[in-house]
Amino acid sequence: MTRKIAFYGKGGIGKSTTQQNTAAAMNYFFGKKVLIHGCDPKADCTRLILGGKSQITVMDTLREYGEDAVTVERVVKTGYGGIKCVESGGPEPGVGCAGRGVITAINLMEEMGAYTPDLDFIIFDVLGDVVCGGFAMPVREGKAQEIYIVASGEMMALYAANNICRGMVKYAEQSGVRIGGIICNSRNVDGERELVEEFCARIGTQMIHFIPRDNIVQKAEFNRKTVTEFDPDCAQAREYRKLAEKIINNDHFVIPQPMSMEEMESLVLKYGLLV
Amino acid sequence: MSVKESPVKEIPVEGITYDQIKIEKIPATPAYIPRDARLIPAENRAVVINPGYTCMPLGAMLAVLGVRRAIPFVQGAQGCTTYVRYTFCRIFKEPAAIATASFHEDAAVFGGRRNVVEGIRNLVVRYWPEVIGVVTTCSSEIIGDDMVSFLKMARKRLRDEIGAEKEEAVAIVLINTPSFAGSHVEGYNRAARAFLETLATRRTRPNKKINIIPGLVYPGDIREIKHLLQEMEIVGTVLFDIADTLDAPLHPPQSLPYYPPGGTTLEEIREMANAAATFALQPEAGGAGARFLERRFGLPAVVGPMPVGVAATDAFVQALARFTGRGVPQSLLDERGRLVDAMADTFHHTMMKRVAVFGDPDTALGLTRFVCELGMTPVAVAAGTPTRTFGRAAQAIFAEYQHLFLDQPKIFNGGDLFEFEEYLKTLKRLDLIIGHSKGKDIAGELDVPLVRAGFPVYDRFGYQKKPIVGYRGAELLLYDIVNAILDYRYPDDRTQQL
Repeated sequence: MTRKIAFYGKGGIGKSTTQQNTAAAMNYFFGKKVLIHGCDPKADCTRLILGGKSQITVMDTLREYGEDAVTVERVVKTGYGGIKCVESGGPEPGVGCAGRGVITAINLMEEMGAYTPDLDFIIFDVLGDVVCGGFAMPVREGKAQEIYIVASGEMMALYAANNICRGMVKYAEQSGVRIGGIICNSRNVDGERELVEEFCARIGTQMIHFIPRDNIVQKAEFNRKTVTEFDPDCAQAREYRKLAEKIINNDHFVIPQPMSMEEMESLVLKYGLLV
Repeated sequence: MSVKESPVKEIPVEGITYDQIKIEKIPATPAYIPRDARLIPAENRAVVINPGYTCMPLGAMLAVLGVRRAIPFVQGAQGCTTYVRYTFCRIFKEPAAIATASFHEDAAVFGGRRNVVEGIRNLVVRYWPEVIGVVTTCSSEIIGDDMVSFLKMARKRLRDEIGAEKEEAVAIVLINTPSFAGSHVEGYNRAARAFLETLATRRTRPNKKINIIPGLVYPGDIREIKHLLQEMEIVGTVLFDIADTLDAPLHPPQSLPYYPPGGTTLEEIREMANAAATFALQPEAGGAGARFLERRFGLPAVVGPMPVGVAATDAFVQALARFTGRGVPQSLLDERGRLVDAMADTFHHTMMKRVAVFGDPDTALGLTRFVCELGMTPVAVAAGTPTRTFGRAAQAIFAEYQHLFLDQPKIFNGGDLFEFEEYLKTLKRLDLIIGHSKGKDIAGELDVPLVRAGFPVYDRFGYQKKPIVGYRGAELLLYDIVNAILDYRYPDDRTQQL
């Protein structure tokens, strides 16, 4: 059974980095077969897996060569550890409709049978915030069943996570999608772990893992690699290994109960971050 | 006894009468600038001039109207519905009940959830349809409406208001038709697949029935197909049977809300999973439905060719015989004989006449093969909607009838009618155009007759009742072709004795 999961979170929070490092750890430490479907019009969700190669996106292929030219061979690339990568692509900022690009790309992939049943995980990496119907495509019926939100102890990251939960409540009823947990990608702010843990408890989910901040992530990124590929024995690789293991064994799936804005502010005040 | 004065009085005509109207064609003056040759092929242009197709939801709506007590519900702005209803009225001269979600600015911003949930509720409690075909549009697809979820909410809303029993009696079929992804042909195709995927879900008691998905044809064509089945004593189900729904006799409505008679019933569509084989007469419009049944239940799918002319109708009849074990009755052999006789009787009019054909891809291919059978010389054939196979299929027909031409006929796979027209203008001689009503002005411009066939014909009466499929349909089409040639003012040296 293929598990389809989606990563959401505020822009710049380290969503794609976390996602790729998790995918690499799933593969390296647990032998899982993974496909990453990048749903960000910037098409930067698979860079570390593919060693820096920028991938030809589904939408670019569609635009340049027409619908018939979109084939699995053309748009699915294999990177580190045999991880398959697809990028939806989309328009440049300020033009066109990026949301429709996500819908079209996922429809085409399904029509072509690119989501093969031998995969253990399909990971949808979705851009910063769910701004329109298209960016909720990965959690529609028959698609991703679990969501992980990448956040940190910063107010705006939690605010975004709360907003994403609000969107998900609607889908939870209809398509059965559930929140699997919040991944805290540490920013080294004070009381971060406690704040995120309380946030998770308030909205009824778990903080599935706390990833400490470590420069090796940046170092690996400069080398266009995931941490697991760059140095599988380092401490940070062990953290991603733990995260991968927790996701693989996760059985805590809930419909979130998002907070009101007042609740959010009082929570952050409690931890003394609004000075 | 004095003669009573007649109550009817002649109305005096004022102003310019019709017989006084004469419009002089303005000749090409030296100031006339010829068209830039580079801009004639449609692929070199950013604009389409005289498109040979219409929008995807139209095909899906036509399909839904072929189901008994079914109403299409259009998830889009009102124009998406109004234009289609107007078009259907022009073609069929029948009313077409189509519901709309009536998108306004707010729906574009907030999504069309409320529109569909409330719209379906209103539709059901006022009209009590048995089937609702939910047809999406460009705007709804672009804003990313999650229709599967919305329809679940709509069902829940109905259940809360009218109870589970009545709610379950309404079948809802979702047809995704973003018009930027294809034409009306694809819309019909998607409708065929959606209806079968949604309704024909269980193969319980296999029977010997034959499924027919006719494609974008007219009530007359469907009656002709039914006639062929009847003569062969085959029980068949026609999916999207518009024969009566879009050609209903004028009776006062017997009950309200009014539904036209006929149409494929919900039960018949469910039963299609139990049939012996599926015939999709137009591969591009309905083929997806036949292939779905083949994939899902192993039902053999016979996809095309459209039975226009002798060979294609022969192939259809023989395939029917093969799947049912029925023989071909003398009555059909006689019909075929009469068609061949008519072809022989008129051969001296049709032979070597240079003809251009255009229309929906499968119709255009059917017509092309038939004109070849008549000994005519096709000079150009155009499919309004491009397909993967059109070029190859047209080539195959031309290879078979190679002896008919000196030059290879031009094939337009897609493109627009402007390109087609400009090409026809370059020909030294052209005797006839066969195609739908959108070719009217081209024929006028080139001063050659237009024989109307295919979808849509909206500027003449009776064409929706007149078949072109089957032996009898081909015979009727042949008469149109021959009479158009005879009516036409050819120079004396090209007129032939009757």
